[in-house]
Amino acid sequence: MRGFAVPQKGAAVLFFLLGGAAAILVWWAQPDRGVRANQAGAPRGGHGHHVPPTKGSERYQYAYPAVKRLPADQVFNPVPPPPEAKPVHEYTLVVEENVEHEVAPGIKIPAWTFNGSVPGPVLRAREGETIRVKLVNHGTQPHTIHFHGIHPAPMDGVFELVPPGQSYTYEFVAQPYGVFPYHCHSNPSSQHIQNGLYGMMIIDPKEGRPPVKEMAMVMSAFDLDRDGEADFYSWNGKAFQYADNPIELKAGEPVRMYVLNIFEEMMAPHIHGNMFQLIRSGTALKSNELTDVVALGIAERAILEFHYDYPGTYMFQCHFSEHMELGLMGWFRVTGDAKGKPAKASAPDALAGHLGAGEGKR
Amino acid sequence: MSRSRSLVWLSALLPVVLLGALLVVFYRTSGGLRFEAPAPVENIAFERLVFNGDEMVAHVRNVGPSETTIAQVQVGWTNRASWEFSVEPSATIPRLGTARVHIPYPWVAGEPYEVVLFTAAGLPFSTSVDVAAPTPQFNADNFGAFAMLGIYVGVIPVFLGILWLPFLRQLGKAGYGFLLSLTVGLLVFLGVDALHEALETELPGPFQGVALTVIGVSLSLLGLTVLARWIAERRAGMANRALLLAYLVAFGIGVHNLGEGLAIGGAYALGQIATGAMLIIGFMIHNLTEGIAVVAPIVRSQIGAGEDAVEWSHLLWLGALAGAPTILGSSLGAFAPSPALAVLFLAIGAGAVFQVVIEIVMQMRRAAAEDPGAAAVGVLNPANVAGFLAGLAVMYVTGLFVSV
Repeated sequence: MRGFAVPQKGAAVLFFLLGGAAAILVWWAQPDRGVRANQAGAPRGGHGHHVPPTKGSERYQYAYPAVKRLPADQVFNPVPPPPEAKPVHEYTLVVEENVEHEVAPGIKIPAWTFNGSVPGPVLRAREGETIRVKLVNHGTQPHTIHFHGIHPAPMDGVFELVPPGQSYTYEFVAQPYGVFPYHCHSNPSSQHIQNGLYGMMIIDPKEGRPPVKEMAMVMSAFDLDRDGEADFYSWNGKAFQYADNPIELKAGEPVRMYVLNIFEEMMAPHIHGNMFQLIRSGTALKSNELTDVVALGIAERAILEFHYDYPGTYMFQCHFSEHMELGLMGWFRVTGDAKGKPAKASAPDALAGHLGAGEGKR
Repeated sequence: MSRSRSLVWLSALLPVVLLGALLVVFYRTSGGLRFEAPAPVENIAFERLVFNGDEMVAHVRNVGPSETTIAQVQVGWTNRASWEFSVEPSATIPRLGTARVHIPYPWVAGEPYEVVLFTAAGLPFSTSVDVAAPTPQFNADNFGAFAMLGIYVGVIPVFLGILWLPFLRQLGKAGYGFLLSLTVGLLVFLGVDALHEALETELPGPFQGVALTVIGVSLSLLGLTVLARWIAERRAGMANRALLLAYLVAFGIGVHNLGEGLAIGGAYALGQIATGAMLIIGFMIHNLTEGIAVVAPIVRSQIGAGEDAVEWSHLLWLGALAGAPTILGSSLGAFAPSPALAVLFLAIGAGAVFQVVIEIVMQMRRAAAEDPGAAAVGVLNPANVAGFLAGLAVMYVTGLFVSV
């Protein structure tokens, strides 16, 4: 009897406890309460939960990069050598492998280089003059230089592999005028090119182009982990280098920009706040197209001619957002007096505080 | 005598001292070996990705062989974008050291994201979430919510299972054997499941997930065996071997539930469980069986006051011991997730459960040996075999609810 009653009592207590727990649960699980508990600490208002990045917020989205900026002396000089009239233009390009290359601020990778830099130096001559390039191979692999343009087969840099420790001299008449890539064509060429063995060659027309401020810009990308997807994109070999060190321009000053895409993806150079005269491949004297973006397939190039009417800071970028966000962007900092009506141009410069000394002050 | 003794000690120390000397020489001179890695060997493990109102915070550990420096950060959505960041305490992380990478990225709830860290040598390491959601902050409300999660999936089912006790007490001898075998089936399933989960959880290399599992299983399996013997010998007169066994079962299940809670809480906090409600329902059904396992050993005991009786309050303690660790587990898992800890406790739980299986089977064998009617057949009579298989089946079927 007693042995029977006590477990009954125990069971009753258990039931009672569970009932109490159930009551607490029902209270706890009120819909709004559950939501509140789950969302505590979360911002309200759906998508509007972050303040738009603004100047001074320390969150401005183009204040790349937070930890380390590329110092000015590490920046690839975008100014090509000036056109120079002489019968023979001689260059020596030394190939080295495993040259330390800071592809993005703080990230140093081993690159294969012509004369120690990615891209290699700009080669330049006038149409009809002779270009003589001595390739010196200081690497461990055979290398070549393959030039675009018109030249005899032995100067094409495909069959004549230059073994390590040896050299080879390419010589041809510069023709036709235009903008050209040069790159190593030793197999596997994808490795030789993507490791950094490429550069730009400019052949000026016989009569020359009007002398203005010039820039040579090679668009390329770097696949650090060899997974088939580029990790950084760049103007002239280093991601964000012209964001960290903006290019200074003057309002009203004519600018000529030589652009080459040497990566295996479409690139779309685009300048902000402006339009440019487009000369595709650089093979015409005059432009017949005014635009602000142009699509360049692999190895395609163009001349962009423009000037800025208004002072301020403008982005120049690849219009593929991913390329831009992974380094293919930079700033033109335009100073001087506005050409034309300045009223709108004197709006506050959102970047003045982020781009160093107040040179852009008006 | 003392001289020979010190000689013995010296002989024991000699190899250690010599090894130390060798290490010093090797460290200074490389011992004539020139093995230089052709490429930097680095490894960064993500331990947690926290979504706060205005930033993402990646908790990382350097699990590579030497120190490493985080040089760039990218956030991937449909494609990657370089982003500003800061690292606490330092972008250079020593071996096995940890760091928090703060990324002021304007993330949007419900979107998928990838976080990529590039080392100074250019090696990328990434983690991703399918659905970004605000990470629960450690506060009273959220702590309460995760404690409730533990109560839902751990405590309530166990007590509900215990409530079957009055029914179970009506079972005859064969029924009791069936019940104990059912319990063995449940426990074997739990143990194997926990072992599998412990081995499946990916831990960074240096944490040696498999070794950790072996250690955890051995610890509880052997430790509990010794403990049970010790208690039984110390309290030889104790009639309640059955109660001791029940407590062992409860303890084993409790440790198992601690590991399970860690896993559930961690997954919930990371937003990895899309069908949260379904999973909780599943665990409630699944864990109901644990209550049966806890009381199975004392089904035939007298309940209430008396010399050999089991006081009814023991039922509360048994249930609490088996279920309550889930609360601790789910809270810890949510606010201080540690995959290594989860693996360790899953393994300890597996070992504890296997130890209990051994105890129950031994008790069933003793009972069979004492019963002249059953001696010929032994433990493996049809009722017991059916019970064991039924236990596995019950766990399998209820387990269908918790597979995500």
